[in-house]
Amino acid sequence: MTRVKCSKIRGKKPDELQKQLEELRQELNTLRVGKVTGSGGAQKLGKIRNVRKSIARVLIVTHQTTKANLRALYHGKKYKPKDLRKRKTRAIRRLLSPKEKSVQLKKIQRRQWAFPQRTFAVKA
Amino acid sequence: MGPKKEAPAPAAKKKDTPATAAATATASAKKTTKPAGSATTTAATKVVTKERKEKVKSTALKAKQRVARGNQLTRNRKVYSKPTFRRPHTLRLQRSPKYPRRSVPKRNRLDHFAIIKHPLTTESAMKKIEDNNTLVFIVSIRANKPMIKAAVKKMYDVDAEKINTLIRPDGEKKAYVRLKADHDALDVANRIGII
Repeated sequence: MTRVKCSKIRGKKPDELQKQLEELRQELNTLRVGKVTGSGGAQKLGKIRNVRKSIARVLIVTHQTTKANLRALYHGKKYKPKDLRKRKTRAIRRLLSPKEKSVQLKKIQRRQWAFPQRTFAVKA
Repeated sequence: MGPKKEAPAPAAKKKDTPATAAATATASAKKTTKPAGSATTTAATKVVTKERKEKVKSTALKAKQRVARGNQLTRNRKVYSKPTFRRPHTLRLQRSPKYPRRSVPKRNRLDHFAIIKHPLTTESAMKKIEDNNTLVFIVSIRANKPMIKAAVKKMYDVDAEKINTLIRPDGEKKAYVRLKADHDALDVANRIGII
C-alpha cells in the first residue's frame, strides 16, 4: 500500500476512514510479525515506517474533522466544552472582559460628556 | 369593615349585613355600580364599589389559604423514637451538565492492536506451539490477562483456555496463551505467519 496523503483522505467519510485505519493497522501487524520471523527483508522493514506514519495521518484527519464539526456545532453557544474555548493563559482568562472594564460611573460619564478633552491650535 | 367571610363567595356582590350598606353609602369617590345578573332585589339596589369587592375577595382568599396551610401553633411534629438523630435522606439529583467538559471523549489507546505487539518465534516458543497448544506473544505491559484473552479472540478468532504472563528482564510482557482443545496452535500459527 502506498503512503496515505492527508489531502487525499480529507474528503472521506468517517466510517471510510475508520475502515482504512483498521486495514493499515492490520498491515502493520503483519509487518511486525514478518520482522520477528525474519521474512521480509529491507523493503518490508522500511515499509513499517510508512505504515506507521500513514496511520498517524488518518488519525490526524479524523480528529481534525471531528473537532472542526464540533466547533461549528458549539459556535455562538454560551457554554462550550472547555477544550473548545480559547486557551490563552490562565491569568488572561481570569481578567475582566473588555465590556466589564469599560463600565463607568454615571458621574464620570456625565463629566466626560460635559467636559471633553478639547484641542486647540494657535493660529499662525 | 364587614365581617369575615369563611366561605369564599366570589360572586357575592349582594351584601346582607346592614353594616356594608352603610359602608357602601359612605364609599369613596370611585363609586361604580356593578350589578350582578339579578341586579334588583326586594331590598334597595346595592351599590358595590370596586374596592369593596376586592377586599371581600382578598379576605376570602386569605381564609382559604389559612385553612390549607394549617395552624402554625398546633402543627404535627415528627416522633423520634430512637435516641440518635441521623441526617434524613435528601434529594440527590443526577448530573445533567450544561456542556460536556471534553468535546470528544478520549479514545481507548489500549485497543486490541496495541495490546498484542507481535508473536514470539524462538525455539522454545515453537516447542510450546507443537507440544502444549499454546501461542506466545509479546504483549503491552499495561495489558492484563482478560484483556489479552479478548484481544487474541478479536485478532485471531481463537478461544484461549488460560493465559500465563510474565515480565521479561528487558521490560516487555510475555504472554503464554494456551488455546482451547478444539483449536490447533499449529494451524493458527500458520495462519498468522509464524511457522
